[in-house]
Amino acid sequence: MDTSQLLKGVLDLAVLAVLRKDDGYGYDVVRRLRAGGLNDVGDASVYGTLRRLYNAGMLTSYVVPSEEGPHRKYYSINETGRVRLAESRETWRSFASTLDGLLEEVAA
Amino acid sequence: MNTQALGVEHYLAGMRAALDDLPPSEVAEIMEDVSAHVAELSTELGENETLGQRLGPPEQYAQELRQAAGYPARTERLPVTTKKQLLGRPRVAAWGLAVATGVTLVAGTAALREPAILLLPGVLLVLSLALVHDRGPTQQEIMNLPETRRVQQWLTPEAGTPADRALTYLKSLQPAWWLVRAGLLGLGAVLLASRDILGFLVIAGIAVVSVFAGPRAKVDRRWLWFSLPASALAVGLLLQVIDTTADNLGYSSSRQTYQTPVMQGYENIYAYDENGKLLTNVLLYDQDGNPINAPQGRYAYACTGSDPQPMIPANRYPRPEIQYENGTCYTVAPSMTAPSSTESTPPSSSGSAPSSSVPPTSVSPSK
Repeated sequence: MDTSQLLKGVLDLAVLAVLRKDDGYGYDVVRRLRAGGLNDVGDASVYGTLRRLYNAGMLTSYVVPSEEGPHRKYYSINETGRVRLAESRETWRSFASTLDGLLEEVAA
Repeated sequence: MNTQALGVEHYLAGMRAALDDLPPSEVAEIMEDVSAHVAELSTELGENETLGQRLGPPEQYAQELRQAAGYPARTERLPVTTKKQLLGRPRVAAWGLAVATGVTLVAGTAALREPAILLLPGVLLVLSLALVHDRGPTQQEIMNLPETRRVQQWLTPEAGTPADRALTYLKSLQPAWWLVRAGLLGLGAVLLASRDILGFLVIAGIAVVSVFAGPRAKVDRRWLWFSLPASALAVGLLLQVIDTTADNLGYSSSRQTYQTPVMQGYENIYAYDENGKLLTNVLLYDQDGNPINAPQGRYAYACTGSDPQPMIPANRYPRPEIQYENGTCYTVAPSMTAPSSTESTPPSSSGSAPSSSVPPTSVSPSK
C-alpha cells in the first residue's frame, strides 16, 4: 500500500508532534519526520502543512538570520496547537486500535 | 557556486509563477520558507544533480504544497491581476524607496540651511513602507520584481572576477560605513544645533538609530526604508559641508586677489635695470602710444597742486611723493613706499635686489 496516501491524513499530527519538543524550520521538520521513519514524506507537503497549521493559528513563526543564504523561518507550536495535538492523538489512537482490531479479525 | 545560485533562482521563479494566483502576502510567506529550503538543498546536491531531480519540477512542488496547505487549486490569473501587478504595492513601495532615497540625497545637501525639507522624503518613506510593511521581513515580492532582479544581477558578478572581489571588499567595509554614517549625521546635527533645535533632535535621532539600522536591515529588509535614506542623508550632508568649505576657501582666495596691488596700491611705478639700479624719469606708453597713467593717489596731486613746479607728465615714473614737512617733491625708493610684493620686483633680478641696492633712507630730489 502506498503510504503517501495514508500520510496525507495524518501529516498534521506528525508535524505537530515533531514541533512539540523543539521549534524548527521547514527543512528541519522534514528531516525530523524522515528520521522518525516517515521516509516518503514530501518536502512540499511538509511546507504546505506548516502553512496550513500556521494559518489555522496552531503555530507561530519567527525569523532567524542565517550567515549564508536566506533567513530561516522557524515554527513553534502554541497552546492551540498543543490542544489540537492532544485531541488528534486520541483520535488517532482509537482509530488505529479500531483498525488493528479489524485486521486481527481478518488474520484470525 | 554561481550556477547553483542560478538554478535556485530559476527554481524559485518557477514556483512563484505557479503560486501567483494566491494572495501576495501568503505567497511571500511561502517563498520565505521555500527559498531557504531550496537554498539549503542546493548545497547538498551532488555534482550533476539538479534541484529538479531532487524536488521535481517547481510546478509539481507548488502543486503538492498547495494541496497540503489547503489552498484552492490553481486558477488562471485574470488580466485584472496582471494590471494590478504592473502597479502593485511592492513595485510602488520599491520605487517610493528609491525616489525617497534620491530626494534625501538632494535634500541632504540643503538640510543644514532648511532642515524642514527632509519632511518630503520622510513622508514618501512612511507611505511607501506602509504599503508593504505587512509583507514580511524578507520583502520577497519586491525582491522578485524584474527591476530588483536586474539590480541584483549587477550586484552579483561571477565569482572570482575583479568585480566580485571589489564587491566583496566593499561589503566588508559596510560596518565601518555604518559608523561613518552615524558620524556624518551626528556632525550634521551638531552644525544645526545652534539654529534649529528640532532639526538637531531629528538628525541626532536618525544618527543614533542608524547605528542599529545597518545590521537590522540585513535581517529585516523593512529597515532599508531607514538605512538607505540615512546613507543618502549622510552623503548629502557631507557634500554640503564640502561645498560650504570650498565656497569659503574660494571666497577668501578671491578676496585675496582683490587685495593685490593691481587696483589699489598701483599708484606709482618703479623701474629697475637688470643690475637692480632704480631708473628715474621713465616715460611709459602702451602699444598705441598712449601714456600709461597709474591712478593718481597721493603721488601726483601733491606736486601739481600747491607746489609751483613745472608740470610733470602723469606717465613719468617714479612719481614724486610729497614730503609734508617741507612741501618738496621727492622720488622715494620703493623699499620705503612701494609694497614689497612680487609684482613690483623686476623680472630679471632677484627679489631682494632693489632694496639692497637702494638704501631705504636714500631720497633723491625729483628735479
